[in-house]
Amino acid sequence: MSVRHNLRVVRAVAAADIKLTLREPLFAIIGVLIPINFLLLFLLFALSGGQAPIAVVMNDRGPLAQQFVQAMGHSSSFIIHTASAADAEHEIHSGTIVAVVTVPQEFDAALAAKARIDLPVEVNNLNVDFTNDIRRAVPLSITSFYANAFPDQVVVTAHESDVQAADTGYIPYLAVSIMVAGLMLASQLQGSVNTARDYELGTIKELALAPVSRLTIGVGKVLGAAALAAASALLLFTVVVFFLGVRPLHPLEVLGFGLLILAAFLALGVLAGTLVRRRQQAIPLSIAMVLPLFFLSGPFGPANWLGALPGAIAAVSPLTYAIAAFQHAFHGYQTAPQGLSVDAIVLAGFALAAVGSAAFVFGRRGARH
Amino acid sequence: MTETAIELAGLTKRFGSFTAVDGLSLRVERGEIFGLLGPNGSGKTTTIDMISGLSRPTSGAITVLGIDVLADPRKLRRSLGTVPQENALYEELTAEANLRFHADLFDVPRAGLNEKITALLELAQLQERRKSRVSTFSGGMKRRLALVRAMLHEPELLYFDEPTLGVDVQSRHALWDRIRELKERGTTVLITSNYLEEANALCDRLAIIDRGKLVALDSPSNLRRSFGDTVLEMRTHPAPGDDVVRKVRALPGVVSVIASDGSLKVTVEGGADVTGKVVTEVVGTTSLEEIQSREPSLDEVFLSLTGKELRE
Repeated sequence: MSVRHNLRVVRAVAAADIKLTLREPLFAIIGVLIPINFLLLFLLFALSGGQAPIAVVMNDRGPLAQQFVQAMGHSSSFIIHTASAADAEHEIHSGTIVAVVTVPQEFDAALAAKARIDLPVEVNNLNVDFTNDIRRAVPLSITSFYANAFPDQVVVTAHESDVQAADTGYIPYLAVSIMVAGLMLASQLQGSVNTARDYELGTIKELALAPVSRLTIGVGKVLGAAALAAASALLLFTVVVFFLGVRPLHPLEVLGFGLLILAAFLALGVLAGTLVRRRQQAIPLSIAMVLPLFFLSGPFGPANWLGALPGAIAAVSPLTYAIAAFQHAFHGYQTAPQGLSVDAIVLAGFALAAVGSAAFVFGRRGARH
Repeated sequence: MTETAIELAGLTKRFGSFTAVDGLSLRVERGEIFGLLGPNGSGKTTTIDMISGLSRPTSGAITVLGIDVLADPRKLRRSLGTVPQENALYEELTAEANLRFHADLFDVPRAGLNEKITALLELAQLQERRKSRVSTFSGGMKRRLALVRAMLHEPELLYFDEPTLGVDVQSRHALWDRIRELKERGTTVLITSNYLEEANALCDRLAIIDRGKLVALDSPSNLRRSFGDTVLEMRTHPAPGDDVVRKVRALPGVVSVIASDGSLKVTVEGGADVTGKVVTEVVGTTSLEEIQSREPSLDEVFLSLTGKELRE
């Protein structure tokens, strides 16, 4: 068995898998669109969860009252609109807003007289997460307003010095994490579906009886799936870079780490496909394997900020290192103490273990379907 | 070159406490069409998987085409063509694409490949459907395509699992013709079948296995003969009584007697002498309304050897 024959088989198996996937539009669409849906859903969640919609009833339209509302707007905690008292009442009871903040009559006059002002804040406390956002952000807005409007009266101020050269928005941070998860999902889906298809349709016998090693067949299948997963990854990359405007600082790192993630999770996909041997089971299994890993791996912030137990769990998840590496590739900072070389070693080791396990199980199971 | 295509020696395969194949030993000569028969679960597929190197035996030895399968299964696969029961065709690819894929897997030289594919598609009477997806083919067309695909790399041994399962009568005879042509070219053909008619029509020799053990091994005609050379089916009035059955069974040369609902089926060996004695005994006690004489069928042989129908 020559190298040329092995290469011929690898090319043939990869090409056949690509053709077959493209000729089964449902699986092609699922494979490409699930990861992008994943990205869009999480971004929508982040966008909707980040700011609470509130109504402000302006019973005083003086300059200080206006300045106070501006301070609320700058807190990045509210989506504000002004409304009449009646309309605001209707909105909060119909569930369209979280809170109503009423600026009382003679707000400006009371401030000038240094009189006490009670600011009515009505909260729909059906969800404590949103309720706490209001409870934190309203006093913060008052402090911020005071610091700007009466700088002489506020003598304690924070003097911030930043570790990073520039702030990173929540969406750009999250988008990179989700991109890694999407890449994982795309790879695992394609790997598992391509492998399960051969067992499901009985064509595994044609492959298993070929006079080549199972490893050669496996490499062909991984490359076929890689081409399709790469299409999905490219789509994710396009959305993140061109629609969200998150551009990588180190494109070669994106490529290198991206290929490592692709290899590891394609191999895991082949392993999953070999074990379940049915495409309809391979798809939910892939999602079920990726989602918990995603949440355990610090996608919303550095894993060590989650606390001792979640941090320890995150340390054993390969996705943690993938996210840390991608955050560095895009934003240029380290989100974990281990450093980029450890990220690379862990991911390479994981990829090797995944490829080894997939080759072992695929080889052992052979043509039994 | 060895004259033996397949040699199994004490082949055993166990799955936990279940023994699927139990000390199976047999030889298949080069150039013969050899049938492996047995009811579902008898160990046929497990045996074939071990012969083709897809599964390792628990014990025993397998030599195929002079190759020790356990030592070098990949070397064997170059010389082995397989038509599995499920065809293993890529249904969303065209007939031609399936053949080209097989050519890549088996490293069939690219020079002359087009001509070879054309010739095989003509042989399978599928040349006009060369560019059609396999999913649009009938069961018979798929079977013919799977057969010529297995022939593409010119194997010395071709294994055909249930050659005509689910195909129409016309396709069945076309497939049988192709299999006979393979034998004429010197290819050894191993078939497993649930159709005794098919095994009878095609095979030079048959091995019958049951519960993983070899029950019988011979040519179809010898197997039938070993069961008896004539079956007499008689309808009587009144129905044959126990005394008639007992007397007939006691006659020398009578292999078996089955009485049911006014009929008597007697298998004999020894030719006209024995037949005459049986008829004399029957007409002496009851009135014979109808009588038919024929050769025993393989179904009857199978039933007598395994105690069950082949399709159980």
